[in-house]
Amino acid sequence: MLIELLTKRYPGMRAWLTQRLSALVMAVYSIFAVARFLIVQPSNYGAWVDFFQPLWWRIATLLFWISLCIHAWLGIRDVFKDYVPNPSVRDVLDKLLVVSLWVYLVWATWLLLA
Amino acid sequence: MQNNQQKNSQKTKLRPGQMSRPKNLNLFTIRLPINALVSILHRATGCVLFLILPVILLLLQLSLNSAEHYETVIAILHSPFIKVMLLGLAWAFFHHFFAGIRHLAMDVHWMTTLMKARYTSKVVLVLGALATLVLAVKIWI
Repeated sequence: MLIELLTKRYPGMRAWLTQRLSALVMAVYSIFAVARFLIVQPSNYGAWVDFFQPLWWRIATLLFWISLCIHAWLGIRDVFKDYVPNPSVRDVLDKLLVVSLWVYLVWATWLLLA
Repeated sequence: MQNNQQKNSQKTKLRPGQMSRPKNLNLFTIRLPINALVSILHRATGCVLFLILPVILLLLQLSLNSAEHYETVIAILHSPFIKVMLLGLAWAFFHHFFAGIRHLAMDVHWMTTLMKARYTSKVVLVLGALATLVLAVKIWI
């Protein structure tokens, strides 16, 4: 029923909810990342590599980055909707936004899992 | 009726679909309440954080690449100008974080009356400034 409400009756609700859920994921990760950084205190190259060595941390970081890309897509798209009245200009900007976020996502995935 | 509208839009040279409505583009005549300030800063900091994403990825990649590149990144981050930039970005992150938490709280109908919203706006601004101050002390001392 919730799914039907979100997708059929109020399509905008899906974007709204996605924006909030991705925000929650990022908030939780950010708190963990700061805490872990303060506990581990990596102070040289070896320690810094070790900081990103555990698979669970790399997966958590990737989840954060996926959320970030979704969040940024919805957020910047709204900014374009508000401040770029010309539909064709906005269309180009939207496409640039999507392309750049895909590049960042592939880049981050390669960085964390390769 | 429609004919009338067409005539009207021809007279004022409006694009189709555009309504005639009063505009006030002089921003200095608009008083910005504190909740509006927090809200627009949330949007502005979001844009700044988006624009800085490739730089963050590049620095992360370099720092993990090799010991030499790591030292280069550390040296870059230690220059005074970059430190100031870093603090500005950190403030953008902190503000976006705290203002975002505030928006989430309001989504679940917490702190939604005008007085409470004004109060939490102040809390968000203070927390953002405090977090930045703590970081400033940490990277300069």
